Amino acid sequence: MSLSDPRVASLFRFIRHEYAAGEARLVYAFDDGPELVETIRFLDAPALAPEREVAFAHALQLLHLIAGVSYYKAGVPPGIRIEGAGIDQQTARFMDALYLHGLGEFAYHNKLDLRERIRFPANRGASAAPATACGLPRRTLVPIGGGKDSLVSVELLKRAGDPATAVWIGNSALIQSCAERTDLPMLNIGRAISPLLFEYNRAGAWNGHIPVTAINSAILVLAALLYGFDAVAFSNERSASSATLEYDGIEVNHQWSKGWAFEMAFRAELHRRVATDLDYYSLLRPLSELAVAARFARSSHYDDVFSSCNRNFRILGPKPSDRWCGQCPKCHFVFLALAPFVPKPRLLKIFGRNLLDDPAQTAGFDALIEYRDHKPFECVGEGRESRAAMALLAKRAEWREDAIVERFNREILGQLDAQELDLPPLLTMTGGHHVPLPLVALLEAG
Amino acid sequence: MNTSIARLAPDAPWVVIKFGGTSVSTRTRWDTIAEIAASHCANGKRVLIVVSALSGVTDLLKRLGETRDDFAQARQLRDTLVARHHALFDEMGLPKRNAIDAWMARLDQLLEDPRHSEARLSWQAELLALGELCSSTLGARYLNESRLDTLWLDARDFLRAEALPNQSEWGQWLSASVRFGHAPEIAAGLASRGDVFITQGFIARKDASDTAVLGRGGSDTSAAYFGALLNAEAVEIWTDVPGMFSANPRQVPDARLLVRLDYAEAQEIATTGAKVLHPRCIHPVRDARVPICIRDTNRPELPGTEIGWEARDPVPSVKAISSRKGLTLVSMETISMWQQVGFLADVFEAFKRHGLSVDLIGSAETNVTVSLDPSDNLLDSDVLARLCADLETCCRVKVIAPCAAITLVGRGMRSMLHRLSAVLAEFGALDVHLISQSSNNLNLTFVVDEGVVDALIPRLHALLIQADVMRVTDSRVFGTSWSELAQVQTTRRQPAWWRGQRERLLELAQEASPRYVYSLDQVRAQAQALKAIPAVDRWHYALKANPHAQILKAVHAEGFAFECVSWNEIAAVRNAIPDLQAERILFTPNFAPREEYRAALHAGVLVTLDALHPITEWGEDFAGRDIFLRVDLGVGRGHHDKVRTGGAQSKFGVALDEIAAFREHARRHGARIIGLHAHLGSGILDAAHWRSVHVQLASLAEQFNRIGILDIGGGLGVPSRPRDEPLDLVALASALAEVKQAYPQFQLWMEPGRFLVAEAGVLLARVTQTKRKGEVRYVGIDAGMNSLIRPALYEAWHEIVNLSRLGQVADELVQVVGPICETGDVLGGNRRLPVCREGDVILIAEAGAYGAVMASRYNLREPASEFCL
Repeated sequence: MSLSDPRVASLFRFIRHEYAAGEARLVYAFDDGPELVETIRFLDAPALAPEREVAFAHALQLLHLIAGVSYYKAGVPPGIRIEGAGIDQQTARFMDALYLHGLGEFAYHNKLDLRERIRFPANRGASAAPATACGLPRRTLVPIGGGKDSLVSVELLKRAGDPATAVWIGNSALIQSCAERTDLPMLNIGRAISPLLFEYNRAGAWNGHIPVTAINSAILVLAALLYGFDAVAFSNERSASSATLEYDGIEVNHQWSKGWAFEMAFRAELHRRVATDLDYYSLLRPLSELAVAARFARSSHYDDVFSSCNRNFRILGPKPSDRWCGQCPKCHFVFLALAPFVPKPRLLKIFGRNLLDDPAQTAGFDALIEYRDHKPFECVGEGRESRAAMALLAKRAEWREDAIVERFNREILGQLDAQELDLPPLLTMTGGHHVPLPLVALLEAG
Repeated sequence: MNTSIARLAPDAPWVVIKFGGTSVSTRTRWDTIAEIAASHCANGKRVLIVVSALSGVTDLLKRLGETRDDFAQARQLRDTLVARHHALFDEMGLPKRNAIDAWMARLDQLLEDPRHSEARLSWQAELLALGELCSSTLGARYLNESRLDTLWLDARDFLRAEALPNQSEWGQWLSASVRFGHAPEIAAGLASRGDVFITQGFIARKDASDTAVLGRGGSDTSAAYFGALLNAEAVEIWTDVPGMFSANPRQVPDARLLVRLDYAEAQEIATTGAKVLHPRCIHPVRDARVPICIRDTNRPELPGTEIGWEARDPVPSVKAISSRKGLTLVSMETISMWQQVGFLADVFEAFKRHGLSVDLIGSAETNVTVSLDPSDNLLDSDVLARLCADLETCCRVKVIAPCAAITLVGRGMRSMLHRLSAVLAEFGALDVHLISQSSNNLNLTFVVDEGVVDALIPRLHALLIQADVMRVTDSRVFGTSWSELAQVQTTRRQPAWWRGQRERLLELAQEASPRYVYSLDQVRAQAQALKAIPAVDRWHYALKANPHAQILKAVHAEGFAFECVSWNEIAAVRNAIPDLQAERILFTPNFAPREEYRAALHAGVLVTLDALHPITEWGEDFAGRDIFLRVDLGVGRGHHDKVRTGGAQSKFGVALDEIAAFREHARRHGARIIGLHAHLGSGILDAAHWRSVHVQLASLAEQFNRIGILDIGGGLGVPSRPRDEPLDLVALASALAEVKQAYPQFQLWMEPGRFLVAEAGVLLARVTQTKRKGEVRYVGIDAGMNSLIRPALYEAWHEIVNLSRLGQVADELVQVVGPICETGDVLGGNRRLPVCREGDVILIAEAGAYGAVMASRYNLREPASEFCL
């Protein structure tokens, strides 16, 4: 099929959403173009409890709105239309913020100004019935992504004796092998993006980063209502809230939907519109990336299965290079963040190579420490975390002769404010969070 | 249960048989153990069975040992352990559970023990020992139920741990050593009690009543200790593999079984990589002169590997090439080392202080580099950091890791050095951090980056055989290859087509010589074999291999598209097949001039760019066009340096770190990148290679918007030597299908050349003269390197036969040479042919690819003509 370029469309339409027999279907279109259908599959889904039907319907609508971002961004048309009953003012403003900030990096790369375009229409007649409690059982869904963060959460929840289930969305051999290693009950949710999106891409669609954590959050809310969980515990940390750069008066943050602002807004929307007894929080929120790394380092249980690498390894192999590309900012950052806390031979075993002794990776590490470059558009820690980690390695005999550490010592260290390089302050818990009280003490103890 | 009666004579010889984790984890496996023990008994031997813990149990116990105050996890691990043992108990159908439950009760006691929260070493050792105590207890019950009277022994009553000088606290408890030696009174005492005994590997008594464990490879070592203690006739290590091999069979399917080794060689091989036997277990049996045998539980009929005293009249040969990963090098640099008295002593003192044992050592005037073996201690503690901090006081220290040591093992290594040139050349392209050769003349070790090893070892193994340094024809030492044993040879080679066409070929050679003859049937057969691979959406014939018009027509008829590398190739294929659609031609030139790209675009041919230059300098030519991008994945593969087309040393492709720039330029000019292409080399016989290229391209392509096609190149290997195995197309098909399933959005294209035509072509030549110089005999033929340059250019090996005397005994060793005035004009060196006479027709096989097309008029000699059957 050959489709017209979605960039010339004038309207993005939320057509309908439906759920039957474990499958949610989210339908969109540009103008009068073909329907774009995204499907979410809940395996072995139980029948929906009657007391949760209203909440589920609201959650499904929320997911429909949020997941639309993948398609909306292909054309970024000037108009947005929501068919059917529509949404109230507050939801509309929540969606505006999500699309504007969640597509911030996308807009920066494509040199688009979205401020004038993104305006979700509110309908005064839309139902404003407040959410109620839906009798959810005490169980936690903990989404895992194959990286270190969610595995730190898993271990925390296990230690707290929390009845947690490891959940992941989509097919991924890597995540599955991590999930198996957790020894927790597992839940996998299927997600199929409309194949027409690929056609639209070939026809010239805009492309770029989308706020995927927001989509996953909405999917998991649906899952919690369906299977019966009263909490969804993400593993976003404090560093996720800091902007990558500022552009044209807007802070651009690659990880916006992993940040504190989104967590608060989504949680508020959830409690206002969906269910009052469904908790949504990030367990690692008060921690820096380095503090998470320090916690991860305490056990080698996941060393040979986890990967935070950005390359999508759909097919697993036994070698470290089958999980870590060694070239991307995530590989660089995780390597650097673990280095202060993990014995060097163990770290090199995890990665299968020494990234800090490879001069070809110099530019990558420079970006992390924000030396002559801005922080990369990736889920990586703050620049000062990277600088503090590097400065610590520069003092350590087993690291300081490695090419990149040695250059840091020689060329960069002198230009930095020594006080800012202190590691311990970066390891303390600070900032707002929604972590349930019983878990806070454990989190603090590491 | 300890009430057996001895039926054998008191002086009946002992055999110690040891079984690992997987061998003791199911009832069926215990039946096998019973059979093996009973058959030894029937042969008049007294048997001691030494067992490991059930597979995975030691790891669980180890994790349990680290739980400290994480009671939830401890509880969970405890439950898993209990369930494992109860499951086997149930499977065995044993009547009473008390014996195993007693150990489980002991487990619970240990968990309550105050030493738990501190993870005290004494406590950890006792905990770890439970695995073997349980498995041996279950085993003893089962064997007795199976009517094999078996006495259970506590290994700790016989093996006493002894602290070694400088041994760390950790080592004394968790990697203990045992004093050993023949103890006739113990042997006699046992002999009076029964014929079959079972005991635990891995564990020993420490002090009066404590328990220590022997660490990695502990069960093998226990078996060896018992072998020495009982002065056994043999110690048999029963495993899941047929024995020790000339290389790790997982890396090198062609690895040969080593039928016999001496202790020193075996220890060297085990130390340098082979996992089948732990090197620690050689020492006890060597001192006691007890032979140790590795046997395959699944195939007891195989001879296995016997390790004993040094063989008489050994022929120098490399016995094995092994690799050890996970090495850490510590490089210490100082100024004017020679003046500094005691520098080395200081350095080694630091290693000693931290309980680290140094393995390899290399030194220069101002540098000492040593290697540390991988150990739990290095991985889990900050010992390396502390060591480096100490060393810093006397030198500059650098840690180089992860490294791998590649070791050639064989008695008389130095007498073989001169024949290792091809092997050494392989190391030339790598960073070699350290080379070591010890005075016992047994080994030669190269330390390189860990990442290169898996690809390197198979090449080195093949080169060692080629250079006849690894004498695989010596059947006293070398057995069958792993792949033969594993019977993976699903695609046996057919006899070559030309064997059935001898008369016709002889006629053709009479008409004109030298002459290339091609079998179009063979071309079609190859094409059809490839088309049976469903994952590939479109096949291209890389016509540079052989652009003969009739071959082009034949592959076109089979549905192949074409891959061209020059404008003239495009013209040739359009000339041969006038109705060919332009889009069935893929143009993938390298450093071609701008006009060729323009002409190709004008003709509507698909163009692949393999450098930044065309898109940066001539970008407007590609505006609005669909293009392919050839990337260099960074590693080259192939049978020879000159056919590798990946890696920085190769001129092909856009480097990974330049892809972003390429995209940016393409976007600026409005060129659409619709396909990614990679071609990493030629003559590759390993299906896993394309799987890996396919995966890498797919994961790269995911980052692009419009890419719908992945072209993973060609390079499908064709075997040349008689015992070489052909490319396994079934394995290739399933490897590609697996990747395609993961990335269904991409079409898959391939572009083989040689695979289609190599075997289809033969070069016929006639004998011109023969010559004898000293011991060397030459057979001169009228075809030289001007007709077939592959032997000279790539050191390619082509089968050569005397077609006139096909079937006669080929017993004369000759050099087959051409008429060109070049020393390198050798078509085949050291070949066995029947005695050749002037005018005989010589056939050079597999000459259909890169033969006629690479021919020249050098010496103003006309090259061979061409003929299609």
